[in-house]
Amino acid sequence: MGSIRRGVFRSVRKTTLYIVVAGIAMALIFPMFFLFTFSLMSDYESYSEWPKPLLPRIKVEFRLTPIESVDGSYKMEIWNNSEKGFTPFGPEENTRANKSLRKLSNFIRNYSNCFISEKELSEIMDSVDQNGAETFILKKKVFNNYTRFFTLYSGAAQSVLNSLATAAMTVFLSLSIGGLAGYAFARYIFKGKNVLKLSVLFVRMFPPVAIALPMVIILGKIGLYDKPVGLSLIYSVNQVSLSIWITASVFMGIPESLEEASQVFGASKIGAFFRITLPLAVPGLAACAMYSFIYSWNEVINALILTQFNPTFPVVVYRSLLGANAQVHLIAAGSVAQALPAIIFTLFIRKYILQMWGGVKV
Amino acid sequence: MDNPTGVLSREQKKKIIPYLLIAPVVIYYILFWLLPVVRAISGSFMSAPADEGGVFTFGNYTALFKDPVFYQALFNTAFIVLISVTLEFVLAFGLALLINMKFHGSGMFLFLALIPMSLPAVAVGAMWTSGLSTYGWLNSFLIRIGILNAADKIIFLGGGHFAKMFLIIIVDAWQVIPSVMVILLSGMQALQPEMMEAGYVFGGSRFKVLRKITIPLLKPTITTAMILRIIAAIQIWLIIVMLFGYNRLPVLLEQIVLNVDKYTGSEAFFRKGMALSVVVSLIVSCVSFLYLKVSGAFDEPAGKGV
Amino acid sequence: MPVLELKDIAKQYNKRVWGVQGMSLDVEDKEFIVFLGPSGCGKTTCMRMIAGLEETTRGSIILQGKDITDLPPRDRGISMVFQNYAIWPHMTVYDNIAFALKLKKLPSSEIKSRVEEVADMVKIGTMLSRFPGQMSGGQQQRVALARALAVRPKLFLMDEPLSNLDAKLRVIMRTELKAIHQRTEATSIFVTHDQSEAMSMADRIVIMKDGEIVQVGTPEDVYFRSADIFVAGFIGTPPTNFFYVDVKKENGCTILDHEFFKAELGKEDSDRLSGYEEIVLGVRPEDFILNKEGNGILKSQVLVVEPQGAHQVVALEVEGNIIKTLVPSDHSLRPGDNISFDFDMRHLHFFDKQTEKRIS
Repeated sequence: MGSIRRGVFRSVRKTTLYIVVAGIAMALIFPMFFLFTFSLMSDYESYSEWPKPLLPRIKVEFRLTPIESVDGSYKMEIWNNSEKGFTPFGPEENTRANKSLRKLSNFIRNYSNCFISEKELSEIMDSVDQNGAETFILKKKVFNNYTRFFTLYSGAAQSVLNSLATAAMTVFLSLSIGGLAGYAFARYIFKGKNVLKLSVLFVRMFPPVAIALPMVIILGKIGLYDKPVGLSLIYSVNQVSLSIWITASVFMGIPESLEEASQVFGASKIGAFFRITLPLAVPGLAACAMYSFIYSWNEVINALILTQFNPTFPVVVYRSLLGANAQVHLIAAGSVAQALPAIIFTLFIRKYILQMWGGVKV
Repeated sequence: MDNPTGVLSREQKKKIIPYLLIAPVVIYYILFWLLPVVRAISGSFMSAPADEGGVFTFGNYTALFKDPVFYQALFNTAFIVLISVTLEFVLAFGLALLINMKFHGSGMFLFLALIPMSLPAVAVGAMWTSGLSTYGWLNSFLIRIGILNAADKIIFLGGGHFAKMFLIIIVDAWQVIPSVMVILLSGMQALQPEMMEAGYVFGGSRFKVLRKITIPLLKPTITTAMILRIIAAIQIWLIIVMLFGYNRLPVLLEQIVLNVDKYTGSEAFFRKGMALSVVVSLIVSCVSFLYLKVSGAFDEPAGKGV
Repeated sequence: MPVLELKDIAKQYNKRVWGVQGMSLDVEDKEFIVFLGPSGCGKTTCMRMIAGLEETTRGSIILQGKDITDLPPRDRGISMVFQNYAIWPHMTVYDNIAFALKLKKLPSSEIKSRVEEVADMVKIGTMLSRFPGQMSGGQQQRVALARALAVRPKLFLMDEPLSNLDAKLRVIMRTELKAIHQRTEATSIFVTHDQSEAMSMADRIVIMKDGEIVQVGTPEDVYFRSADIFVAGFIGTPPTNFFYVDVKKENGCTILDHEFFKAELGKEDSDRLSGYEEIVLGVRPEDFILNKEGNGILKSQVLVVEPQGAHQVVALEVEGNIIKTLVPSDHSLRPGDNISFDFDMRHLHFFDKQTEKRIS
């Protein structure tokens, strides 16, 4: 009896577990997935369909019918998934005139993200003349919004470069300076260590915005305001202290005796570091670099305050959203592009994220 | 020991090495942290930069403390911090307890749970503006699964003051709960199972063991994560601005950005923003101090490591 | 001329704490020296100073006539086996062993032949292309050994190399290490806290306590002529039993008087003890001789019997102290049995009660 009851209890527990896990997973995935879907929507889907599509579409159906009253002119329609029917699309009357064909082709490209040449359009018109109405399916250029985002919001491409430059310098600065100190923390006992340790922790938690305002003046004086270098100097304040913490735990994980052995067997102190410790620390240091990268890539408030004409990528996305003619599907594209590096890097550094939050020994 | 030649002995050299290693950090911190902090504090008491004829004044602070929006922002921030951190921890802990078992695909699940917190704030902002707007995906989703009629849409963003705050709390919870849950989970799994088993062997019930053994053992994990969360929650602003716009639901950080970024060029607003940033830093510093105190960092001797 | 001379070397950790204070020692060529002592006695610190991994606060270290006190480890011509092996996990076994040879820029054919030679010597010749992560603890130990042998050092240092092995492997490696030493004849210093390891391997044992040398001598010296109570209690399993006894003259004979027994000494011992009134008597477990008639010097009851095969350890309780004796297994004894012992009068140890030093 007991074993049966235990078995039942077990399977009930297992089932609850899977329900909870599936529930959380869905709650996590859906918003991200819907944002992704939005980023693939054409203008037409975005403005004319309700409820909006929640699955990305790769094909669009069109219908071309002759207009009875006017000879040689045609009406273009597009399939509206929410109304389950064709709805008028583009200019009311289309003819074979070059100008009209070009107008229609452009319209289709701009509003449905599909590409069809003027020649193809006139061929379809030919077959409409023969067979009456003609429906045809075009492949949607799914990532069109991504290119459009970068062309529409001027400076977006430059801002990605700014962001990359800032992130690269932040990574370099925090890893080099922080790595040295991290090594000192891991390997030496020295006077003032406790004070330094506390300050590092304190700085790590200090609100970055507090130093942003005086930095406007300081950076202005040394000519680094509105430049990626200047921004990376601010970003590194928090990142250096975090790097100290991460690299110290990385170096602690590499037994000192490995270095000592190489010294006994012919390496200098510095040689021992480069031959033994550094190769072994690479995965941990890479994680640390990725963490700094994510922080720098995602950061908004300092970038907002410390840049003017050379904003970083998140600032551009942010401004585009607050702008007057915010087009939500384009901004979704910008956001997804912005989020991608963070998601990829998270895959690599989850172990360290956990260490950093849970049971942090200070 | 006495070294008349002036050459350092090996022992003395070794003593210098750590100081050489930490020197860059110390110099960097002095230049780019300590100096700005001092400037921020002194600047918040000046009417303008000193070389432009600025004089010492309490004006920035009196302007700040006379501003009713400041008190609103203070209240809103406090409210959001209090409710969201409590809610997040209770729910995350409950979920962690439910999930605390090895299961198929747990690695993938844990990775998934860590994503929201590493997402850029603007992406999260865009996600929820596109979701919570009246013609957004949330209404679309509710209609498609048949909960709502196509005609009646919920106007998520049009609620009152507290509705707005709860919306922010929920959005923040979406981002934070999964990560906190994973952190607690990894904390639980790092505990030696013998600790709990001993509890059961000596007659503890499930609940007793949880309350008397598991939670106390997890305390370091919980306090660390909680205080870091509080500090982060004090600094919530972007999602609010992205959902509602400036000045609709004032919070502390939003007001700093508003004073500096929106009213660009005005010295008075810039100075007021500075004063506000000093106030925010003070609050955060108090929390940090509390954290260091609680975690025993002050009374720990300096050994190797951090 | 000694290969290694330690001249009053000392290590101070901070103002108050001394790791090693004033240690002097000469190590002869081809000798196998063991530093023995409880944990924290400074034996590892001393070895690390010889290796150059720890700086000396004062004193000098002279290796083959050359002062190496202030040289970095790599210029000392020593090699070392570390307690946790310190095998580099990102290098193959071959690269681990060849590391030092490559840094010395030896020709690669020479490196190859040397690596193979030492690898065969420690029986890992077939594993040269493996990574340490794929090897057992015992095999890693052998890699560490091969790496240390490959450099053909002036001095071979081993810091508790066997302590991470399981008991069975430890005994096997002990024998192999000794065989390797006999073959290579490399002057060696071996650190351990395990006295049986020290006894079985050493030419001379250096017993240390609280950063100072207590006794230097052959295994026989430290066992039969222990310098003080600490050494006598540290060497041998079970350790020496101690009794506080009064020295009395009765009828022209010297008597050791204890609450539980009286023992009459011979002429030679009597002379040694002249002038002492109270001493500490040390009796090794095997120097208790079972008296079958029951009228020996010490009479007591059996507390616990621990069979060991050929012998059994019989524990008694005398004046609240546990006394352990070694008795051949052919006497069947049970807890509670009355038992009586004589002492082997040739091997009694006498120590000064105040200084705890041997009375000789």
